[in-house]
Amino acid sequence: MAENVTYTLKDFKSSNEVRWCPGCGDHAVMNAIQKAMATLGKKHEDYAVVSGIGCSSRFPYYMSTFGFHTIHGRAAAIASGVKSANPNLSVWQISGDGDALAIGGNHFIHTVRRNIDLNIILFNNRIYGLTKGQYSPTSERGKVTKTSPFGTIEEPFNPGNLVLGARGTFFARSIDSNVKHSQEVCTAAAKHKGTSVVEVLQNCVIFNHGAYNDINDPKTRADRQIFLKHGEKMLFGANNEKGLVWENGDLKAVVVGENGYTIDDVLVHDAKTESMNLHHALIEMALPSLPVAFGVIRDVEAPFYDEEMEKQIAHVQETRKITCMDDLLNSGDTWEVE
Amino acid sequence: MGDLRLMKGNEVVAEAAIRCGCDGYFGYPITPQSEVMETLMLRKPWEETGMVVLQAESEVASINMLYGAASTGKKVFTSSSSPGISLMTEGISYLAGAELPCLFVNVQRGGPGLGTIQPSQADYFQAVKGGGHGDYKLIVLAPASVQETNDFMDLGFELAFKYSTPVMLLTDGVIGQMMEKVELSDFKPRWTDEEIERISGEWACLGKKDRPRHVSTSLELDSEKMEQNNHRFQAKYQSIQENEVRYEMLNCEDADYVMVAFGSSARIAQKSMEIAREKGIKVGLLRPITLFPFPIKQIEELAGRVKGFLSVEMNAGQMVEDVKLAVNGKVPVEYFGRYGGMIPTPGEIVTALEQKLIGG
Ligand code: SF4
Repeated sequence: MAENVTYTLKDFKSSNEVRWCPGCGDHAVMNAIQKAMATLGKKHEDYAVVSGIGCSSRFPYYMSTFGFHTIHGRAAAIASGVKSANPNLSVWQISGDGDALAIGGNHFIHTVRRNIDLNIILFNNRIYGLTKGQYSPTSERGKVTKTSPFGTIEEPFNPGNLVLGARGTFFARSIDSNVKHSQEVCTAAAKHKGTSVVEVLQNCVIFNHGAYNDINDPKTRADRQIFLKHGEKMLFGANNEKGLVWENGDLKAVVVGENGYTIDDVLVHDAKTESMNLHHALIEMALPSLPVAFGVIRDVEAPFYDEEMEKQIAHVQETRKITCMDDLLNSGDTWEVE
Repeated sequence: MGDLRLMKGNEVVAEAAIRCGCDGYFGYPITPQSEVMETLMLRKPWEETGMVVLQAESEVASINMLYGAASTGKKVFTSSSSPGISLMTEGISYLAGAELPCLFVNVQRGGPGLGTIQPSQADYFQAVKGGGHGDYKLIVLAPASVQETNDFMDLGFELAFKYSTPVMLLTDGVIGQMMEKVELSDFKPRWTDEEIERISGEWACLGKKDRPRHVSTSLELDSEKMEQNNHRFQAKYQSIQENEVRYEMLNCEDADYVMVAFGSSARIAQKSMEIAREKGIKVGLLRPITLFPFPIKQIEELAGRVKGFLSVEMNAGQMVEDVKLAVNGKVPVEYFGRYGGMIPTPGEIVTALEQKLIGG
């Protein structure tokens, strides 16, 4: 692993012209991922980037690493194949909300459940961009799009809930405009052993512009976003004057020093706890009553597939009774005819 | 004159479906056919006729929703483009095996794989030779204009129910995206439950009392019975071959050479024919409208009196195999085509005609 290699973001850029729309959030997320890769201490040739179909899935063309632009919805299965065939690689899956959660929903949950060591970066723009503006499985109820001109009548997925439902071990959330933060969580995702899912809220300037304005308006975002760090108090607000407390079985936002709440009441974030209760509550937090949670929400240690697979192969090879063809033929339902 | 409009082929698929009394549509966006669902959603047929329009989470979901809906004896359809149709082939094979009537529209784009979003006719084999597993055939209608796209929606449903089998409308990115004048069909009401009972009462899941139970399935573990089922399918396909061939012949009466082309390439070949005729080459055009059933007899008949055939296709040479089978070695059969999203020019086709057939 870590030889003494130093890279910069530029080392991960390819010479291909980037064909995302000007102003698309994808540009910033790519920078964040490239910065993260440059500092992880892995060799350039150890990275493989796998994508499905969609705007964000054009990603491998823009990377100087090995890449694989695959089939709509199937990136998780294909990335799993790459990782199991060559466990030394650092495999990154780039998917959008349509690719990973609509057509690829099945592969997504099973990959997370299997806990194979992949980094899934989920670009969530809540719309189908490449096919020009139809609603996606994360579009909010009532969303007006080309295929829902009178508003959708479906409930959206919250990706983090799917990760928890599949007993996932790592979930983080970031937003395209905050490149530094996206880089941090991508680095944490890469370090986690098992399937890491990073949801990046991404603005599609063409078909869903301003989808995250309510969360991300510079004037109000200090009150509407909370950046979580394991082991630290859950504080937010322009001067960290607000905090999260646990009351009546749920999270509640309070102002420290008001209504009898003190800093001691404010919760400390525990990303490492196996229990999903707090993580679920954090994932579910939504405006207006609560801020939206960013950062590594869940990061727990658990057996991961590729290592388990290698262990099992080694164990069986050591302990097997069958070592040659004769052993095999004489195993199971065989008998001698006398 | 009926209702005259200037419309895109894909929009007409949606409009014609509503007008022919369709009950339901299940789809998923893919270029170059997303306008089908978008038009349906804008038209709000659920308010006007009660037709259901649903955006599924994938083509796999849409085809299986169609499978379920078809089992109720209603007029239902889906549309997609090449990679999406590949995803649907499992369901198509099951629908054929369960003998359920329904309609698919394939607005073809270039492949293989993700290929390109530009037009193509490279799904000919997939459409007429099965595509999915097992001995089945789809009735395949190949419109060459926006008008035919309109007309074949109704015809497609008619054939699907006549033979209790899935039907495919095989169009492409040219016909789906181009705007042409079209005379829209008159509105037909959706079938009532009584009509469905009369048409498909033996098997349709109608939710009515006192009807004999029926299980829709393509499974039969007893091989002798499964062979019997297959005999039934083959007899049906034979009857379709005998009764449903549709084609158009232009200038074939005095022709020395005949071009065979379907869909959008037939439109281009028609222009080539005019250019060639101006040059004094006596060439005609045979345009198969049904790709299965293929106009075998018509080609056999022509093979007895022309000097050669040129199959013109937007693929690497697929239909040419069926032309060769029908010609059966009597005269030369050549192929010319562009593919991967490229469209042949009329001039290129004339040159191919001259070099491959006349000069050769
Ligand atoms: S359509 Fe939207 S998501 Fe796609 S590249 Fe343009 S801005 Fe980005």
